[in-house]
Amino acid sequence: MQTFLEIDHISKTFPGVKALSDVHFDIYPGEVHSLVGENGAGKSTLIKIMSGVYQPDEGGTIRINGKETKIHNAMDAIRQGIAVIYQDFSLFGNLSVAENIVINQVIEKNRQVLNWKEIRKKAAEALRIVGADISPLETLENLSVAKQQMVAIASAVAQKAQMIIMDEPTSALSTTEVETLYGIIEKLKAENIAVMFVSHKMDELFRISDRFTVFRDGQYIRSCKKEEIDRGGLISLMVGRKIEFDSLANPVQNPEVVLEVSHLSKKGNFKDVSFELHKGEILGITGLVGAGRSEMVQALFGLNRPDSGSVKIDGKEAHIDNTWSAVDAGIGYIPESRQTQGLVLDKSVAENIALPQLKKYTGKFGFVNRKKQKETVGEWVEKLDVRPRNEELLAMQLSGGNQQKVVLAKWIATNAKILIVDEPTNGVDVGAKSEIHKILRQLADQGTSLIVISSELPEILAVSDRILVMRRGRISGEFVNKDLTQELIMDKAVVS
Amino acid sequence: MVKSLVKKREFTIFMIVVVIAVVIAISNSVFLRPDNIIDVLKSNSVIGIMALGMLPVLISGGIDVSVSSTIALCAVISGKLLTISGANLFVVLIVSIAVGAAVGLANGLIISKLKISPIVATLGTMSIVLGAVLYWTNGEWITNLPEDFKSFGTATVAGIPIQVIIFIALIAVTALILKYTLVGRGVYAIGGSTSSAVRVGYNVDKIQTLIYVFTGMTVGLAAVVHTSIVQQVDPNTFTGLEMDVIACVVIGGASTMGGSGSVTGTVLGVLLMAIMKNGLILARIPTYWQDIVVGLIIVFAVSIDVLNRNREQEKLVRVDVEE
Amino acid sequence: MKAFKTLKEKYANELTLACIFIAVFIILGILAPDKFLTAYNLGSMMSQMPELGLLSLGMMAAILTGGMNLSICYIASLSGIFAAYVLSSDFAATNVGIGIAAAIGAAMLIAVITGLINGGVIAYIGVAAMLVTLGTMTLFQGIATNITQGGAISGFPEEFMALGGGNVFGIPVPMLIYIGAIIAAYLLLERSAWGSRVYMTGCNETAARFSGVNTKATVLKVYIFSSVMAAIGGLIMISRYNSARVDYGSSYLMMSISAVVLGGTSIMGGHGSVIGTVIAVGIIQIVTTGLNVLGINRYLIDIIIGAILIGVLAIRFLSRRLSDRNLVKARAAKVGAQ
Repeated sequence: MQTFLEIDHISKTFPGVKALSDVHFDIYPGEVHSLVGENGAGKSTLIKIMSGVYQPDEGGTIRINGKETKIHNAMDAIRQGIAVIYQDFSLFGNLSVAENIVINQVIEKNRQVLNWKEIRKKAAEALRIVGADISPLETLENLSVAKQQMVAIASAVAQKAQMIIMDEPTSALSTTEVETLYGIIEKLKAENIAVMFVSHKMDELFRISDRFTVFRDGQYIRSCKKEEIDRGGLISLMVGRKIEFDSLANPVQNPEVVLEVSHLSKKGNFKDVSFELHKGEILGITGLVGAGRSEMVQALFGLNRPDSGSVKIDGKEAHIDNTWSAVDAGIGYIPESRQTQGLVLDKSVAENIALPQLKKYTGKFGFVNRKKQKETVGEWVEKLDVRPRNEELLAMQLSGGNQQKVVLAKWIATNAKILIVDEPTNGVDVGAKSEIHKILRQLADQGTSLIVISSELPEILAVSDRILVMRRGRISGEFVNKDLTQELIMDKAVVS
Repeated sequence: MVKSLVKKREFTIFMIVVVIAVVIAISNSVFLRPDNIIDVLKSNSVIGIMALGMLPVLISGGIDVSVSSTIALCAVISGKLLTISGANLFVVLIVSIAVGAAVGLANGLIISKLKISPIVATLGTMSIVLGAVLYWTNGEWITNLPEDFKSFGTATVAGIPIQVIIFIALIAVTALILKYTLVGRGVYAIGGSTSSAVRVGYNVDKIQTLIYVFTGMTVGLAAVVHTSIVQQVDPNTFTGLEMDVIACVVIGGASTMGGSGSVTGTVLGVLLMAIMKNGLILARIPTYWQDIVVGLIIVFAVSIDVLNRNREQEKLVRVDVEE
Repeated sequence: MKAFKTLKEKYANELTLACIFIAVFIILGILAPDKFLTAYNLGSMMSQMPELGLLSLGMMAAILTGGMNLSICYIASLSGIFAAYVLSSDFAATNVGIGIAAAIGAAMLIAVITGLINGGVIAYIGVAAMLVTLGTMTLFQGIATNITQGGAISGFPEEFMALGGGNVFGIPVPMLIYIGAIIAAYLLLERSAWGSRVYMTGCNETAARFSGVNTKATVLKVYIFSSVMAAIGGLIMISRYNSARVDYGSSYLMMSISAVVLGGTSIMGGHGSVIGTVIAVGIIQIVTTGLNVLGINRYLIDIIIGAILIGVLAIRFLSRRLSDRNLVKARAAKVGAQ
């Protein structure tokens, strides 16, 4: 049988990073082929190449229906039959379902006058093919995330897509909604549409895939049929990463409890979360994307108000309603998105580091003592080895790793008792990763208590003293970091 | 069906219009007299026409404060054409609309090509255009309009003033453009998400430019309609008009953040402002109170909208929690 | 030398503006030395500039947070009217000192109240500043008109005139007040902890909030600051006109936004300097007065100011795009070489 799409020897280099190196991928019509790999394996880069967002390096080939081709841009990808269901769906919340499904075609055909009857008919037809029970007249933003996703899929179907790429499609869906999605995928198969599925949830991968391809660190590892491999085998292909971090775990626990969280719940975010954090401890929290990790720690930092439960700091009830009261209570939070939440990119390193603790440099009349600020900031830039060593540079002029060090510096400088670090090495190159791990450990040794959230299991295993696993908003497992394997943790994280 | 109708923003405004109308009608019998209603509609047709022009701008997430200057320019040009050359009504209308379109084109190009924010760009053209008008006219009135134009101003069709007919016609045209043309849908798409609009293939620069051209054209039309009502041209009379126009559209449910707004809402917004002003006049409340009431309505209307949205955000389910 | 270079880089915009200011000044001086360079003319410029300057500083603070204050002119006239109310009372006629102090107090009280209304709705409810101030602009105008019944309030004590017309060592009092306000604005916005928070919030509200900054209180204070600047401007205005009316200063709205943008403040927020705004106010003032004394029609001046506003922004956009392109080219060359 003829493949719909075949990709060979594709590489993609970004300044300083090789995101993909000589990878292979192919897919047949009517097949569900899952691309598997940990964060940073190169899955999204490949998707972006297939959808025309990135151009690959010279040397590789892309064939569609056997013919060699190039995918110039996003429109071109659609024209050649490839549609991507992005995590944000690229839909218009303010418009009707029908319009969201059909508008691409109207634009493509350059029809200046709209025939709503036809649009509704086409939309209804596409919705029927995917088996979605949604009124074409409904405004999109009134639909649940799951239904919006169905609309996005229906839109791809309406555009006569021959291959639909689904990037983590189940991360925001409930169990019943996931079942519906499986049903839709079956219907797409019946229409002879190829589905490329990206996920790292084991049960769903085995449930719907016909074939797997595993990527690791931007490299092609292996492709195999579902029957040829079991769950354990797939996990070990995925997680058997070459990069291993030195284990920095400290087995001795200080008995002093700094933070005590009991029965913390918030509807639609997390439920009945209880744990303790000891002095000088690094508590790792892991779980799949969408397990409620960030939502939970954001509640501790006053960004997300819980419905019930209590938080005690040093044995005293703490009321954290907003970020400034969290800072006053001695909590620091290093968010997942450095670019939008962690840093003010077009301000200097110095201004960024000084921001959470301006009070410290402020005299009696509210004026900032710039000399003192410069000295302190300079000290931290020096201590954390931020390069280039110039605190007057704008934050956006630094590399990812150095930006992350700036975010760390800004919170360490506050002398926070409790530091919450969400994905500490997201988008940071390997060398800087270990450096950041060492900084975290040093902090713990100096008596700071840390909560480290990470989806990267090697990282969690390298830095944590204790590990909590979250699944669907609850804590599903707790481990002391001794003789642990990635498989053991993964087992608690996935929904079985 | 009924439920979804009730949930709509337009329904809320409609109910407010009805309640205010009932209150005024009970307290003053003049309000419901046909001549009063026709009078109210006629005198508010100018602001109504301009509000329809402002609507696409706000839907797309922009703003146009230059309309008050542009209407002055169009009115002066129309007046001069009428008095000096004695041009016929049709020519005057075309010229006035074309002049409005030209100012709109300038706004649209500055905003879409030079990426200057709409508020600043239109503040700039507002100053330039008004300066030009006043330099040209020295603020002098044009009063000696020809008789046949004056009779056009008082013309009626089946008892309804011609200005109201024009307003109603423009309601239909705007509604059709916004609902049935690709450009009209593009206006909503840009307001909903500019990046998604680019991704699905809309020519965002072109649509943005056309939006301001449309606004300019409605202003050109409004200029002739205004002149036909007051039967003279005072270039200074339009100062601050842009705020009234924007207020009508905002009360009608459009947000300056873009993405929302409808012809129905805007018309209701215009009606709300119109009957309120009329009510205050009928109740012999000093006109000074108008501004206070209008200001309060704007602040409350936009605040309630945001509060509702915040509450919905808070309820959003982010994690599928295992119960 | 190096210090000079970094200074030049850091204040490139302010230096350009200063050069424009000096150039315009020289040109006008050459064109009309007998009219422009007279002590009378320079004096009158110095007593007019403070009003626009104060409103522009107030406007700048709002724009720094990514907001806008369309109600600023009516805050000025409303505070002026309340002060005038006190000043024209029988009490003030007999107790001049206390009367003037009470009038200033009344103006400041109005400033704080209007600032709380604007800032409260913008920061704590989260409505777009443009919409809120559009509404409050109409609201404040309505209240002001209601108090004055569309007329003017006059009959102030003689001593109050000093505020708008007096001289100290030959420098007009309004100018001294303005200089004081510039220093205060500079210290507050560019030197204080609050100022830092204003800039950071304006640049990226989320990141500021994630850094433990009370962004709501920060923005609230911005609108109070904005109102206070407007109120000081309002006091000078009523003193200069010796009366208070609703429409005094209403033409400053457009001019103050122009001055702020011309001064290099980004309409998106987060970037801009007090000194840039001050120089831009100076440019607008000398262009206005200068062309006026040259006998150029005042309406032409409006055209010129509008053209300067769009022209400067267009040039800034085009030069930025040019430098972006060069950057992309340089990067492409670098990648190609690897």
